[in-house]
Amino acid sequence: MPVAIRLKEVTKRFGSITAVNRISLDIEPGELFFLLGPSGCGKTTLLRSIAGFYTPEEGSIHIGDRDVTHLAPDERDTGMVFQSYALWPHMTVAQNVAFGLELRKCTRAEIQQRVAEALAMVQMADRAAAKPNELSGGQQQRVALARALVIRPQCILLDEPLSNLDAKLRHDMRAEIRRICKHAGLTAIYVTHDQKEALAIADRMAILDRGVIQQCGSPQEIYRKPTSRFVANFIGETNFIEGRIRSASNGTAIVETAVGAIASTALPAEPLAQNQAVTLSLRPEVIHVGTEPKDPTNVLRGQLRDTLYLGEIAQHHIALPTANGSPLALKAFELNPKLIGHECEAKEVQLWFRPANAVLLAS
Amino acid sequence: MNRGLSRIIFAVVSLLFAAFFLAPLGIVIRGGFSDSGHFTLRYLIGVFQNPIYAEGLFNSFRIALGTTALVILIALPLAWLTNRYDFPGKRWIGSLILVPMVLPPFVGAIGFQQVLGPYGGLNTLLGIGPVDWLGQMQYGGVIVLQALGLYPIMYLNASAALANVDPAMEEAAANLGCKGFTKFRRITLPLMMPGLFAGGTLVFIWSFTELGTPLILNYTRCAPVQVFDALKEIGANPFPYALVFVMLVSSALLYTAGKLTLGRQAHAMQGKATVATVARPVRGWRGFLVALPFLAVIFVAMTPHLGVLATSFATPGSWYQSILPQHFTLDNYAEALGHEMTIGSIRNSLFYSALAVAFNAALGIAIAFVVVRSDIRGRGVLDALAMLPLAVPGLVLAFGYLAISAHASNMDWVKNSDFWKNLLDVRANPTLFLVIAYSMRRLPYMVRSAVAGLQQTSVALEEAAANLGAGFLTRLRRITVPLISANLIAGALLAFSFSMLEVSDSIMLAQRTDYYPITKAIYELFQLIGLGQYLASALGVWAMAFLAVTIVGASLLLGRKLGALFRI
Repeated sequence: MPVAIRLKEVTKRFGSITAVNRISLDIEPGELFFLLGPSGCGKTTLLRSIAGFYTPEEGSIHIGDRDVTHLAPDERDTGMVFQSYALWPHMTVAQNVAFGLELRKCTRAEIQQRVAEALAMVQMADRAAAKPNELSGGQQQRVALARALVIRPQCILLDEPLSNLDAKLRHDMRAEIRRICKHAGLTAIYVTHDQKEALAIADRMAILDRGVIQQCGSPQEIYRKPTSRFVANFIGETNFIEGRIRSASNGTAIVETAVGAIASTALPAEPLAQNQAVTLSLRPEVIHVGTEPKDPTNVLRGQLRDTLYLGEIAQHHIALPTANGSPLALKAFELNPKLIGHECEAKEVQLWFRPANAVLLAS
Repeated sequence: MNRGLSRIIFAVVSLLFAAFFLAPLGIVIRGGFSDSGHFTLRYLIGVFQNPIYAEGLFNSFRIALGTTALVILIALPLAWLTNRYDFPGKRWIGSLILVPMVLPPFVGAIGFQQVLGPYGGLNTLLGIGPVDWLGQMQYGGVIVLQALGLYPIMYLNASAALANVDPAMEEAAANLGCKGFTKFRRITLPLMMPGLFAGGTLVFIWSFTELGTPLILNYTRCAPVQVFDALKEIGANPFPYALVFVMLVSSALLYTAGKLTLGRQAHAMQGKATVATVARPVRGWRGFLVALPFLAVIFVAMTPHLGVLATSFATPGSWYQSILPQHFTLDNYAEALGHEMTIGSIRNSLFYSALAVAFNAALGIAIAFVVVRSDIRGRGVLDALAMLPLAVPGLVLAFGYLAISAHASNMDWVKNSDFWKNLLDVRANPTLFLVIAYSMRRLPYMVRSAVAGLQQTSVALEEAAANLGAGFLTRLRRITVPLISANLIAGALLAFSFSMLEVSDSIMLAQRTDYYPITKAIYELFQLIGLGQYLASALGVWAMAFLAVTIVGASLLLGRKLGALFRI
């Protein structure tokens, strides 16, 4: 049975540094939950606190119905995959995987069977007799996963499990990890600094910075409705345009900016005041360049500075003229691009975007 | 590691130290500060004002510095060569290079004198008159003899440290254009530092307080010999107590200074190296060139013991103004082994040493764990505490035990009970005090080896086991101990062989023939007028052979060759 994991006001300090600052989280049973943030944000500290390698100074941690805040790591029944894999070099692959089962006093036959199943699940059955240092990084990673899963833990904790792998393998493995977690019905907490990994397979994620949760939600919410500049900037690419509220009513705000008035319907929860300083976040892919506006609300004109052709998309850098003279640089993606070639550069272009895609940040 | 357990270990170790180390030491030291019951600094100040004692301390310091430098000079290149090259006969040479470690130096000194004496083999070989080499060299002779006995400690530590350096570190440096000696100096050497520090500390403090070698070479102007000489007039002269105190403090200071400058950073490798070092095969004359330094060191280091071997087979009186003895015989062996105490002494030594090693291993691992893996306050103190026995000459500690035993055996409850008498009165049965003396004196090797192993093993490997539900003892048994087994075996072998060869404790504490350990038996045989050196040599050869067989046997049981015990 998958279990819920609940953190309440968890604080962990190292000397004068507060690595995790009053973090509360409710992770649902069977959820694949991501902790995402730049290095030093406290995500690994939080994961290690859940695993029991750190004891928080304040707050409580529940796994299922159990308060595990002060339990030793070996009493928590979590399966952890370490960033370095931490495979024991003096044991074979099969012995590594069997270790947890031996501790659980399984019979020899059962151990054999479950080790074989676990290794088959990660496609490592043929390397059971190998020593870890004979394996490639991807193979080691899969053995580490099998070792954590074979004990059928209440939840699985993954600490940057793919960071030592190459891009192709990372791509394959992340789908694999989701498949395995969902197949086993496991609650999983996954720490990474790779937003693509999180967006691709997370059910929900929390963005951490300086020990504090900046935002928590589904990949779509995080990506499409960031609530702070930090989150908008950290996840994906974006353009920031600063301005002041001219009017806000009926779910639409008009923002006075250096490049003119921009309408937004993606508003923050808190009320907006007249003349309040705000920032608009515009993802490059929501800005349409060189096509007839389907929505006449937000239409701007600028100069195409240069274009990077990336195959499926083109990346346009556009300079928008402003009132004070120095142009505003804007990045826009064009899918299935037509605006390519040198003849396009320095060309006057028209660009437009929907008010729903201009995310208004109250800072 | 959990704090409660760390504190318990801390408390137990402190208690053991208080009872078996500080108490006997305290009895000895108290004499240095006590003037008929009153506290005085007169004797301590007197040590520095007395030109003889000051010179003795200075000489000991020079000896220690010289020995350590020479040992590094011998061991580091050898360790590097064995790590990098695969040369013909490496297996055997790698084992032979360690042999001096299991040769008792005080037995070797008999052979040394036969070879280097005025009428010995070397002068005859060179065809020159009676030159007194040992007399000429003064403390240089002590340095050379000690270095020849101690370099295996450094070699083992350096080899283990090199084997633990991830080759990727060097490859990364090479990739950035760093090569040759610069690469070694900038990358490899800093990464080896914990291992080198472990070895260097052992050698330095050992040679600083070594008694046997200068005593037998008759070099009396160093602190340990001065202490030994003064012990004869114990009670009348409080200066040796003060001298011991100075040596104790300076050893502790040296250790701390070394730790602060060299051992400060523990460079933990992420797990073990991901790529194995591949020793480059060298054959033909190049292979011989690589093997040559090993052969040279082995030859020079074994010379004293070859001298012992030759003496043991020599017809008494037949090795005089000749390169080798003129007449050979087996009578020395027959006589030595026929002696009533010989066989018993071998059995006794094995029993004492095995007990001491078992006790040591348990204590050493526990201490290393607290020092490396816990964050309790005072773990640095524990580390320093465990090193203290190295700073204390064996005979001072032995004297302290004698004093305790004498005190205890005067109690009525000891006098009236056979059990307590056998336990506490060394005149009845020295087993307890001998085992404790051996353990205490060799504990530092175990602790240093275990600490170095733990420092170089990623803590994530233990965390992974904890995560799967392994409790502390299971983790220790299944993960940590196997991972640092090379270090532990190295430490245990050192502790075992040194216990077998322990001189000062054995000579002072064992007072009944049926409880003699092997070294005391050799010493007793040596005292016999006329035949002494021949019989002592014969038993010495037996002891060396037996020790070699024991250690090789242990390495065979482990399924590894001796030289590879120290690599994973």
